[in-house]
Amino acid sequence: MAEARKSMIKFKPKKFKVGDTIKVDFIVIHPMDTGLKKNKKTGEIKPAHYIDNITFSLDGKPFTTMKVWETVSTNPYFSVNLKVPGKGKVTVDYTDNTGEKNSKSKKLKPKG
Amino acid sequence: MKRRNFLKGICAASAVAATMTPSGLLAKDAPKGGNVLSYDAAVKAITGGKAVADSAKVSLTVPEIAENGAVVPVKVNVESPMTEADHVKAIHVLTTKNGNSRCADVMLTPMNAKGYFATRVKLGGTQDIVALVEMSDGNFLRAAKPVKVTIGGCG
Repeated sequence: MAEARKSMIKFKPKKFKVGDTIKVDFIVIHPMDTGLKKNKKTGEIKPAHYIDNITFSLDGKPFTTMKVWETVSTNPYFSVNLKVPGKGKVTVDYTDNTGEKNSKSKKLKPKG
Repeated sequence: MKRRNFLKGICAASAVAATMTPSGLLAKDAPKGGNVLSYDAAVKAITGGKAVADSAKVSLTVPEIAENGAVVPVKVNVESPMTEADHVKAIHVLTTKNGNSRCADVMLTPMNAKGYFATRVKLGGTQDIVALVEMSDGNFLRAAKPVKVTIGGCG
């Protein structure tokens, strides 16, 4: 499925071994509108538009899920840890309150 | 090249976001309707009225002063072996004065290996950020820290 939004998964550190615990950072371009602000040009309230659910999975197995509200900053950043069991693929599936679904993946490639 | 452009995009977007303050975000200013859950109501909804203990095991890192209330970094670290038998079940990030006091609920598993979560939140004004932590044994722990929000231009 082609991704409608720009997002990025980062592993920190970039080089790691099997058994290491790394940081998994996820950042996505999204307005996270609260529904409280007006469009300066039209004067109309910008409707609430924010990411509401995120699932982090490793080879299809969810290891972290998040429920998110509009109080999280625009272009949100999320960070959790992951103990590396071996080679694999990390996938972040996320939805927003309009029902828009997106997904981003990154291969987990431990050295040694 | 792609990554550089992507990062440029984020920096530009963040710069724009940084000039906007989250007006209307405080409970007292927000229009009615939408997600409006007070801090006390949110804690009750999460804990079901169960006791919450302030705990040094929960380390909450936030800035003392946030120049820009639209982007306030929050880092939570809970001391835990993160085993099946003993782990952090969920970290709830809340604020005490935003109209909607809830920011994020993060459900962790032993695969995380650490009780850690970080994000950036919006603060409508000076208030506390709270990390409400649910452990696998059903107990609730908490850490709270005040953040002063200065709204306005340079200096």
